[in-house]
Amino acid sequence: MSNFFKMQKKRGKSVASNENTINFATQSTFITAMNKQLEDIKAIREMMEKSSKFLSLSGLSGILAGVTAIAGAAFAYFYLLRDPSLTDYNQTQELLILLADALIVLFLSVSFAIYFSWRKAKKNNQSLLNKVAMRTVYNLALPLVGGGLFCLLLLLQGDMYMAIAGTLVFYGIALINASKYTFEEVHYLGIIEIVLGVIAAVFQQYGLLFWTLGFGVCHILYGFIMYKKYDLKKR
Amino acid sequence: MKSIIANLNKAFESRIRLGIMSILSVNETADFNTMKQLLEVTDGNLASHLKALEGLAYIQSAKQFIGRKPNTQYRMTETGKQCFQEHLNALEALLK
Repeated sequence: MSNFFKMQKKRGKSVASNENTINFATQSTFITAMNKQLEDIKAIREMMEKSSKFLSLSGLSGILAGVTAIAGAAFAYFYLLRDPSLTDYNQTQELLILLADALIVLFLSVSFAIYFSWRKAKKNNQSLLNKVAMRTVYNLALPLVGGGLFCLLLLLQGDMYMAIAGTLVFYGIALINASKYTFEEVHYLGIIEIVLGVIAAVFQQYGLLFWTLGFGVCHILYGFIMYKKYDLKKR
Repeated sequence: MKSIIANLNKAFESRIRLGIMSILSVNETADFNTMKQLLEVTDGNLASHLKALEGLAYIQSAKQFIGRKPNTQYRMTETGKQCFQEHLNALEALLK
């Protein structure tokens, strides 16, 4: 009798342990399957983002664009605006110098952006001139060109301070428009630029200061953040 | 449990096919070279997966010439959209 009990006990034990191993096995296959699904979702998300967004924009170009803008603003301020009596340009000449200054800043910033994006694209084995990049540039360019012409007309009519505020506002709008096709941080940079532009339109005597803040300091900060977040990590 | 797994589409088991469907679900069209670059795969590998998906009528291709170079554009079919969405729903249900 007692023997029989022992047998039963043993059998019961072995059955239980058998069940345990089966449970464990199903559980671990379940977990690996789960991990595979998780990985799949990660891959899907990554591919959707990579294929629909222009991610070659480098933080470095932001930093350099900021530095160029500050240099341009410093030139305009110290050479012309601080004390107009130091130079004997007439108003038209002054406007032309300011315009040339602004265009040089724009040209250098765009060149830096193209160069560093090209470098980043090359490093990631992508071509810079793909459909997504074109779409980003197109969406950035539309408000920028329209707004740029508008500000140019303001400047030619002699309303320099509104032109300065206008460039900030239109640049912000352009950034927000293009942000759908690139890093989402660009969206917030755009909002900051618009706010600064509106403030610059209210406090016109400090227009250049806000311009420097928007195009200079914000770009440097943005570039630094982006460089740290996206570019450094990949090395 | 089994019923949920059954909703996962066997055709999307390969990571490359999943990638192709992901690209085509957010882009109206994509050409061969773009996908090759994005997925970092060889020509032959990508071509065989594209062919398989085309065979299932999930995607369709249109060949054209840009200058002298052949250029194949791919787009998702309605069936493809539906099946991919079901697959995504199944993945989501699994992880809940």
